[in-house]
Amino acid sequence: MSMDTPFDTNLETLERLRAEAAAAGGAEKLKIQHEKGKLTARERIELLFDDGSFEEFDALKTGRGGALGDERSYPGDGVITGHGAIDGREVFVFSQDFTVVGGSLGEAHAQKICKVMDLAVRVGAPIIGLNDSGGARIQEGVDALAAYGEIFHRNVRASGVVPQISCIMGPCAGGAVYSPAITDFVFMVQDSSCMFVTGPSVVKTVTHQEISAEDLGGAVVHGKKSGVVHFTAPNDVLCLREIRRLFSYLPSNNRQRAPLLDLRDPANRVDPALDYLIPDNPNQTYDMNILIYSILDGAEFMEVQPGFARNIICGFGRLGGQTIGLVANQPAVLAGVLDNDASVKAGRFVRFCDAFNIPLIALVDVPGFMPGPDQEHGGIIRHGAKLLYAFTEATVPRISVIVRKAYGGAYLVMNSKHIHCDVNYAWPTAEIAVMGPKGAAEVIFRKEIHSADDPEALLNEKINHYRRTFANPFLAAQRGYIDDVIFPRDTRHRLIRTLQVLEGKTAKGPERKHGNIPL
Amino acid sequence: MFDKILIANRGEIAVRIIRTCKRMGIRTAAVYSDADNRAMHREKADESIPIGGAHARESYLDAEKMISAALAAGCRAVHPGYGFLSENPHFARSVAAAGLVFIGPPAGAVAMMGDKIASKELAVKAGVPVIPGHVDIIKDEREALAIADSIGYPVLLKPAAGGGGKGMRIVRDPNEMESALASSRQETRKAFGDTRIFMERYIENPRHIEIQILADAHGNVVHLGERECSIQRRYQKIIEESPSPAVSEDLRERMGKAACDLARKTGYVSAGTVEFVLDANGGFYFLEMNTRLQVEHPVTEMVTGQDLVELQLRIAMGETLPFDQAALSFNGWAMEARVCAEDPSRDFLPSTGMITRYAEPRGSAVRVDSGVRTGSAVGIYYDSMLAKVICHGVDRESARNGLVEALNGYHVEGVVTNIDFVNSILCHPEFIAGNLSTGFIDRHFDGARPLSAPPEHDLERAALAATILYHVRRSAVRDSLRSITSSIGGGKDAAGGGVYTVRAENDVFDLRLEGAPHGRRWIFHARVNEKTYKVETPEFEFYRRRLKLKINDRIYRFRMRIEQSFIRVAFNGITRVFEIYTPREWKSLEYMPVRRPQEDADVLACPMPGLVVQVLVKKGERVFRGQNLLILESMKMESGVASPVDGVVAEVRVTAGQTVEAGEVLVRFTS
Repeated sequence: MSMDTPFDTNLETLERLRAEAAAAGGAEKLKIQHEKGKLTARERIELLFDDGSFEEFDALKTGRGGALGDERSYPGDGVITGHGAIDGREVFVFSQDFTVVGGSLGEAHAQKICKVMDLAVRVGAPIIGLNDSGGARIQEGVDALAAYGEIFHRNVRASGVVPQISCIMGPCAGGAVYSPAITDFVFMVQDSSCMFVTGPSVVKTVTHQEISAEDLGGAVVHGKKSGVVHFTAPNDVLCLREIRRLFSYLPSNNRQRAPLLDLRDPANRVDPALDYLIPDNPNQTYDMNILIYSILDGAEFMEVQPGFARNIICGFGRLGGQTIGLVANQPAVLAGVLDNDASVKAGRFVRFCDAFNIPLIALVDVPGFMPGPDQEHGGIIRHGAKLLYAFTEATVPRISVIVRKAYGGAYLVMNSKHIHCDVNYAWPTAEIAVMGPKGAAEVIFRKEIHSADDPEALLNEKINHYRRTFANPFLAAQRGYIDDVIFPRDTRHRLIRTLQVLEGKTAKGPERKHGNIPL
Repeated sequence: MFDKILIANRGEIAVRIIRTCKRMGIRTAAVYSDADNRAMHREKADESIPIGGAHARESYLDAEKMISAALAAGCRAVHPGYGFLSENPHFARSVAAAGLVFIGPPAGAVAMMGDKIASKELAVKAGVPVIPGHVDIIKDEREALAIADSIGYPVLLKPAAGGGGKGMRIVRDPNEMESALASSRQETRKAFGDTRIFMERYIENPRHIEIQILADAHGNVVHLGERECSIQRRYQKIIEESPSPAVSEDLRERMGKAACDLARKTGYVSAGTVEFVLDANGGFYFLEMNTRLQVEHPVTEMVTGQDLVELQLRIAMGETLPFDQAALSFNGWAMEARVCAEDPSRDFLPSTGMITRYAEPRGSAVRVDSGVRTGSAVGIYYDSMLAKVICHGVDRESARNGLVEALNGYHVEGVVTNIDFVNSILCHPEFIAGNLSTGFIDRHFDGARPLSAPPEHDLERAALAATILYHVRRSAVRDSLRSITSSIGGGKDAAGGGVYTVRAENDVFDLRLEGAPHGRRWIFHARVNEKTYKVETPEFEFYRRRLKLKINDRIYRFRMRIEQSFIRVAFNGITRVFEIYTPREWKSLEYMPVRRPQEDADVLACPMPGLVVQVLVKKGERVFRGQNLLILESMKMESGVASPVDGVVAEVRVTAGQTVEAGEVLVRFTS
């Protein structure tokens, strides 16, 4: 058969175009990418998905060329899109290719991303973006900006419908940061990546400050200080693995429940260590992680934002096989107070869980809101209200366990019975009161103490009196604010039983367009 | 028979004494300090009495409080255990003066044996060999040479003041004497401001052998054979066994006789231990006598079938020893490991905290004497020993194997322990060969790491265990998603197999698993590098941190834990983090940069739990890397904590007298 029939020619053309797309930016650029400690866009996809499951869309799509007369078109236009399977479940992906025009985002590039986003929402599958891009393709002018806008628009439309994950695996600067910012979880690779609205050179021109890209917007900064990033990883390989791990906890969309994973951990397993967890001395701290790892299935916990606002712990675990979202005060850091960062961190996490049908469990040991001008002027009223709003609004099953301190407004905010959590338990060590014994005694008995012969002795006496009266869960239990006072060792069992009974919960708020969370 | 006794101690020994008392129908009263409010020994006793402050001198070392507690509780006798007040003659006398029975030797014997010089003189009188040496100060080189000739080379020059090896010199040849003496004097002057030097015979590769004796108040004395305690770290015994591979029947008889002679000479009553140094030629020399129950007494109990605490109690009640020397027989071999809350990776610093998970090994030949359980608090105030594991076997190798297996299955979480360090000693080829000496750890270990690589087959088994856990855990996720996985076309399943590359430090393993679940168990045919293994798993319960695998028809126990992407395994003294990669991941890994560990440079984190004794810097002060910023006391040790950076102190977060946790931020800097 001759080789020049039209049919054969098209096959050949396809083969050639495919090869061009696969060659990406060429051997030299791929080598540079590797030398930077980064994998290529295609290698990343192959690691993310089950072997051989990736199917590509738009490999042949190219741009129209820029208004500056740059008529060149690039195979794939700097991004690879398609779908593949994570542990057998279909997920959409786009992976920016830094070796093709620096992964810069132009019209065609964005159209490819928008196509998979639209499809993801239509079929109810998660979408993952692997970001490694120099930013807007300047040659395309306003077309590039319009392209970003289209992506942001879809990010917002998809929010709360399918899980959206961003992964920063290279530069991500300027307007580009706002797509990851809207998505549910942001992963970031250390050393090879940075993320900022304006880079070091602009910073230097405008404010005359010298700062490196790493110090301005590296993984450490975003993981610990800014709270922009939820998970950091030492390299691409482990980062992609962590994404797979996160997915094992999540449903594919807001109509599904999270998958049930049986880790063969008995529901009635008791842990006697918990009876000893709370120190005798109320001023002594302990590590809330001990409780968390004790009660969860298989002692497995995936903490979200582990380095940021460490006075509150948020993350995913399983109880009886079911994914739960856990919010816990951490007395070992800043005594577990709620401050601006902690409130915002937990608030956003609570809303994610609520959107995706993941029951919420709060482990409470909170001495109050952080006092001081820094916090007040930083807007603790506004920010604290976010957490209050998020918990109150949530319609998924909500359970709280008061472990020790539950003081004042912070008690109310932490998923209390009064903002309609479904079931509220307390340990015998719980102290539910308006404020700590010392503060309370000083306020209530101020005059008496002031005029006493030995003010300090009287104060101590009053403190002890207040402690005996309020530093226990029994008064609250008498009122019915606490559904039961439980033995610490039984916590796991009681939580699983409670989740079981709450399984059929349906709750619907009043008709409205949307609430107005105090942003 | 005593109806009730006070146990003037805490921890595992208090629990162990209570156990025998329970069996004998004797009621027990425990004492506890403020720090031991929730301690196990308190729960085990019939009653417990608070005796004050957490510091031992305010509680367990306070003789008066002990005696008042005993009287208040209506006790007839006091058992001191070991440590604390057990070898305090004043306490023994005070107990007697209060009309109580001291379960131990007479105060006179305690006092005499507590005096190093007096006890040595008594040994000489009793005809017990002591290390040849010169008891006076050496005047000059000439005298030194003469003395050395009389006691025989090699000799050891020993400063009169101080200790810790400072100023000590070994002289193997007369030619070395001059310079050795000079440098020893110089170092001694620097360290202690003193130049007085003694001399004694230097024992090469000494072994620590001790003889257990029992004496009743009627003049009967027997010995219960020897214990070898040569495995020591900084003079702390770690592993003990009975009998000793270095002691023959004949030597046992001679050492036993020497020990009994000394006991008779002292007028000794109760259980006691005579410690000897044994040299390579079978020469033994008296070191000291311990007038109490020893930590390592269980190995003797296991080979003799006797209960030493019961015998102590009976002797204290005036009973005659129920057996004579001829009636005693020794059966098999016993080996003991001490489990301490200390972190081998951080120079064995004490580790404190709450024991969050705890599972002891079990078995007919395994005995665990423990003072802790799940929920126990391990603090900075007392000895770091948590428990002892003792194993019995028909011979040394079976006792050793049993102990290794027991330690493989001993799971403690919340505090760091030396379990795997001890196991790496037990698995060392020289230990297996019985080539012990008190210098064993210095010779064969660098810090906590053995100088020789672990056996390949042990590493392979550990890699296999880690990979199987990883593989099964992964397939559990796949199963969980099956219900929401696309059913169109169906997925291709790897039928339970997998190919991995596994890395642990510098070792890399090619691993191929072929197998499938049988119900909830799995059977694998595995290949690790070039070797094949057949592995049967139990039902996986991912909460458990202990995994029992049948590998090539033998059972092995692993302790393992999933740490995010990696799996940490402890097995036969090996502790490694195994990184398990698919072939694709492994290929990609070559491009990944090797990260150097980064320090948090703007803070000084507390290196160990303890008490701040002194703060040496103030806010605003300029400090340099390596400069001591504060003094910390931990486990009775004071040490300086140095600055990790050059910078200016922005904040000092602690004050003198404050207790601090490991990892707590002590000082913040601005650079």
